[in-house]
Amino acid sequence: MSDRVGIIGIGQSHFRSRRDDASYPDLVREAVVLAMADAGLELDAIQAVVYSLSPDAMVGIGNAERLGVDAVGGRNKRFLRINTGGSTGISSVAAAYYHVASGACDVVLTAGADKVGECGDSQTVLNKIWDPTYERALPLGTINMLAMSAVRYMKNTGMTQEDMARVVVKNRRHASLNPNAHLRKEVTIDDVMASRLISWPIKLMDCCPQSSGGAAMVLASEKFIRDNHLDAVWITGLAHCAETYWMGDRMGINPTAEHADAHALRRSFERSYKMAGITNPPKQVQVAELYAPFSNTEFHAIDAAGLCDIGASVPMMREGQFELGGWIPVNCSGGTLCTNAIAVTAMARVAETALQVWGRAGDHQVKGAKLGIASGNGGDHQIFGTMVIEA
Amino acid sequence: MPLKIQPAVIGCVIRPVITGRDRSLEEIMYDTAQLALADAGITIDDIDGIVVASNDQFDGRAISVMMASSALGGVDRDILSTPSASEHAFVLGALRVASGQYRTQLIVSWSPTEASSLSEAQRLGADPYYHRALPLDELSSHALQAAALEHAVPGARAMAQAVVAKNRRHGEAAYPGLAGQGARGNARWPIAADMTTAPVTGAVGIILASPEFVRERGVAAPAWLRGMGWATEAAFLGDRDLATAPALAEAARQAYADAGVTAADIDVAEIVDASPYAELLAYEALSLAPRSEWAARLADGSFGAGGRLPVNLSGGVLTYNPVFCTGLIRIAEIANQVRGRAGTHQKPGAKLGIAQAGSGFAMQYQAAVILGKEARA
Amino acid sequence: MELLGRQEVWNITYDHALGETASFFFGQIRDNKRLFGRRCAKSNRVLVPPRAFSDETLLPTTEWVEVGPAGKIEAFTMVYEAFNNLPDPPYAFGYVLLDGADTALGGYFKGIDLSDPDAAAAKLAIGTRVMTKFREVRKGDALDFWFEIA
Repeated sequence: MSDRVGIIGIGQSHFRSRRDDASYPDLVREAVVLAMADAGLELDAIQAVVYSLSPDAMVGIGNAERLGVDAVGGRNKRFLRINTGGSTGISSVAAAYYHVASGACDVVLTAGADKVGECGDSQTVLNKIWDPTYERALPLGTINMLAMSAVRYMKNTGMTQEDMARVVVKNRRHASLNPNAHLRKEVTIDDVMASRLISWPIKLMDCCPQSSGGAAMVLASEKFIRDNHLDAVWITGLAHCAETYWMGDRMGINPTAEHADAHALRRSFERSYKMAGITNPPKQVQVAELYAPFSNTEFHAIDAAGLCDIGASVPMMREGQFELGGWIPVNCSGGTLCTNAIAVTAMARVAETALQVWGRAGDHQVKGAKLGIASGNGGDHQIFGTMVIEA
Repeated sequence: MPLKIQPAVIGCVIRPVITGRDRSLEEIMYDTAQLALADAGITIDDIDGIVVASNDQFDGRAISVMMASSALGGVDRDILSTPSASEHAFVLGALRVASGQYRTQLIVSWSPTEASSLSEAQRLGADPYYHRALPLDELSSHALQAAALEHAVPGARAMAQAVVAKNRRHGEAAYPGLAGQGARGNARWPIAADMTTAPVTGAVGIILASPEFVRERGVAAPAWLRGMGWATEAAFLGDRDLATAPALAEAARQAYADAGVTAADIDVAEIVDASPYAELLAYEALSLAPRSEWAARLADGSFGAGGRLPVNLSGGVLTYNPVFCTGLIRIAEIANQVRGRAGTHQKPGAKLGIAQAGSGFAMQYQAAVILGKEARA
Repeated sequence: MELLGRQEVWNITYDHALGETASFFFGQIRDNKRLFGRRCAKSNRVLVPPRAFSDETLLPTTEWVEVGPAGKIEAFTMVYEAFNNLPDPPYAFGYVLLDGADTALGGYFKGIDLSDPDAAAAKLAIGTRVMTKFREVRKGDALDFWFEIA
């Protein structure tokens, strides 16, 4: 086991709606400084940087990663950028992992930031993820895309709008314990039900916010960690998997991937579990940070993680099994539902899981957690990244 | 540090110029992947993972990996994208094979010309805080670099003209259908119109495989990855000495160190000549020739076909310029050279080649990839 | 101190080639008010909208198959929030499995009272039969047609 890849440093902003005090690279820098301090290393120790950035149009700068080179101390160093949409953050951690696992580097930084609050047209930008041939003329956006997933999941499992609201209530309660979370005000089921309708059945409080902030992580080889007597947690399983780009192919007659669910997320988790030697996820997973930008999508993420049968997450949510103190706490940080700085949202899932198994998650710590999972969803609910992290 | 597992290029397709409107961009991606697989003699079932690179603003798609995924075989497969540069997709694919988690990777990049102006799309890469108001596209940045080099190296313009003449000559031999066909690019002083070529639509695909896969399938002539380096310059042009290429020197240092070779061992090179001045700078950074020797080497034909170290036997970017994927194409050209599959521009007996890839404002991103006919020296 | 800002707009026009497959599909809608899919010979599935290749088998599709104009709803939503550069709310749209197709086609749902969202949702329930309607003057794009409850 001398070839493992460890996480040795984590930095996250206090995410907010706007950060008018900081330029885009300033936000990246903020997270990098925090992560390097957490690792106890100087930037000189970094041999490569993986830059985490989803659509350029969100920050309004083409190839905005070029502007971030100095913020991450990348000058004359190995540097590249990852973009897989919403899963970008976990894909970036994966890319950093491959830098180390390949033997190319001992210490790698991955970092990024987003200022979604500055983009006046995020759903306009996100409409442009659909193909110009057939679907862009439709008013597609990420909200109504996943509203349609909710409609199908309701039909298949009996999930109600109140069930969706329960996810919001749980995650807001968790976020109230996480100083980095963006939406930290607790809400009730009635509050969620009374919030304004956006795209039926999704209401305002079922939606993630548009957040500004940065995140960064430092990964290192086991040899470097041992030689330098550093503290670490370990990435023991990771994978990506994609499903069809065509939403209409996830419906109709016998689709391989059902739009109500998260088929490729399940496939990716299966691969990650296999790599980590996990044979019984409900028994072995102790904490989960699952990318879910709308309340309804947390259910199919829990299902796809193999924590229960499809649809069983709904009654289990009613029983409080996914709350802090419950059976398998999910999104103890408040999750994507309470903080979404798109470029680093999926990195925050990895970072929060790492903090949990490290025992460093503060007020939202799951007591004694030693094995956790994280996921990221990108594209039009299409590209999924997953990880298993162990103490 | 050397990679734990040594990847090899087992298939390549270069699609230098794609014309006509009978295929959509997605269909072009599909065709490119299928051609790369055919060149490797494998099918998509053999592919464990995919890495792509493209520019969303060129493509007119906000996350172009999405459509690419369905077109390339991403369904039920692991796909990532590196929109920073086409060559970064190769780097990440190689790291993934070297990690032992994958036996194969499909690497694809493309560069369409459906945008009203690629120059305008590039200008969006200037930060909105200080530089967006300037007319800063990539050619302008190359011109600033050219001016800096002319100031630092007396006679640089004549050397640049010699580079252009050489690459045009190579292009006429390598891609006779293309040479002289591409429209001349725009001039930005001191870069003259005939020093560049207008953008075209093109694509490139590469298949990487592990030694185990190469052995199992009995791949006849793989191009082994002997060394790889990549590095970046600072974000702001004003922070750089544009008459030097320190990031490329660093990338080359990494690549040569991994390969355990020096420039004297290299048989053939490909360099991104988005401007001939960039090619000159690369001679120095790749240790092919210090600036004091540029004029002499160009005059004595060292870098020409039949010379000691032919550079850009393909004719380079000057011959075909699918802007975004020109870096990955350099790697594919070198892979074909050491595989003995470079066709009319094959250097006989080429065993070891170096590909330089650069992109961004005044070549902010730099990479050097050494490929060999033999797995080890 | 005074914190300054700057408004920037991106403005690039794209002329996307649709290719032969989509050109045929939109040509038939524009000229004949007819809808077609492409069959993948290996899976026997009829892909609508038509694709030149199947992303599952990665083989070229081989045959044009006329589909619709009737079908059933596979997914829907009604949007009540205004977004920049998207239509004024409320509107309903979603996906329909046209008769003879294996995959669903996106389009607007029209002719439904959206003032009571839950009542509208009941009318648009998955499985509801719909009919494709065509615009009088057609340009050959995805707005040439929409769906109404049959």
